[in-house]
Amino acid sequence: MQYKDYYKILGVEKSASPEEIKKAYRLLARKYHPDVSKEANAEEKFKEVAEAYEVLKDPEKRAAYDQLGTYQPGQDFRPPPDWEQHFGPGHFHFSSHGGGDFSDFFSELFGMGHRGARAGGGFAMHGQDVEVQVPVSLEESLHGTEINLQLAVVEMGEGGAPQRVPKTIKVRIPKGVTDGHRLRVPGKGGKGMGGAPDGDLYLVVALKPHALFKPNGHDLYLEVPVSPWEAALGAAVEVPTLEGRARIKIPAGARSGQKLRLSGKGLPKHGHGAGDLYAVVQVVTPSQPTEKEKALFEELARVSDFNPRRHFGGV
Amino acid sequence: MNFDPIADCFSLLDEGRRATLSDLVRVSGLNDAELLELIEFGVFEPVEAGVAPLFAAHSLILARKAGRLRRDFGANMPGLALALTYWQRIEELEARLRELECQLPR
Repeated sequence: MQYKDYYKILGVEKSASPEEIKKAYRLLARKYHPDVSKEANAEEKFKEVAEAYEVLKDPEKRAAYDQLGTYQPGQDFRPPPDWEQHFGPGHFHFSSHGGGDFSDFFSELFGMGHRGARAGGGFAMHGQDVEVQVPVSLEESLHGTEINLQLAVVEMGEGGAPQRVPKTIKVRIPKGVTDGHRLRVPGKGGKGMGGAPDGDLYLVVALKPHALFKPNGHDLYLEVPVSPWEAALGAAVEVPTLEGRARIKIPAGARSGQKLRLSGKGLPKHGHGAGDLYAVVQVVTPSQPTEKEKALFEELARVSDFNPRRHFGGV
Repeated sequence: MNFDPIADCFSLLDEGRRATLSDLVRVSGLNDAELLELIEFGVFEPVEAGVAPLFAAHSLILARKAGRLRRDFGANMPGLALALTYWQRIEELEARLRELECQLPR
């Protein structure tokens, strides 16, 4: 188990006052809270910050932590032999900032605080809700898929000590999930205690980037490069879809950015229908035209009175 | 050897699914009074009103977020209602932004 320097995590001195600790927490919570932050690994960082605050804001926990002495962050650590005698399970009270998903270091020292309730004279505690991100490809979303999830859920071991338990769950992802889509798997989170129900598993879908298609909800966007003459004269071109190829008609006079809709060729919607595939026209010119092509463009420039900047007026 | 059956999950965006006030209380960690205050602020709108109001399943997402913000920032109810209202507006704007970005050339 690795030692955690909670003062360093919050960026405060060991002599920091409660106000300084609170201020440091608020700044870092604002920066890393997963509901407001766009920082990479925000959730992990926030958990660390919340754990540090959980200890340092509480005079009793802070004093106990300070007793441990000085270690280097990440240094291998074991609690002192008499720790259990002084601070056994149930000794500390918790408010569970960050959801109570604490590190092994924390759990070993302080036990775990969870939302609990006395029911029928015994201790009843709802199992931990777990949220995980699930990468899903567009093809998997098209057909639905099954995935194996490796989780670490917090459960009470024998003697009431909290422990992280590895858990593998096979989950069926329904077809038609989109980016940011939330799924709930009832009862597949942490185990409930004393007859309380098990926690739930929440899956947040993260669609994997695709080489060709950009998803937006159930719709897909495909950039379709066309030559200037195809744009000017119109053309029938073949484009890929998630389920094979399709032909679309580029209308004469097409412009870059123009959207052509292929109805129902997007991702399936729950229960009924499907999104659309939008082919977005991009007019591209040959980067290295041949002499002949160059001559033809020059000829066109000479004979055409087309002015794409007419709306600028006399500029 | 026994294998667990494959777990089926349901979408929180499924328009047909409903959540009860107790569901919202449980997933948020807020109490009934706090949830009712958020309903008064219009953050949660029942799709079926009555003695036992029902909410769209996606309210569970918002309820979890409400619970986290309350717990981790110590936000009071008016502040929480305001933050959640802004969050919903940001979600809508980000969806619009994603749609427009899809149309930009690579």
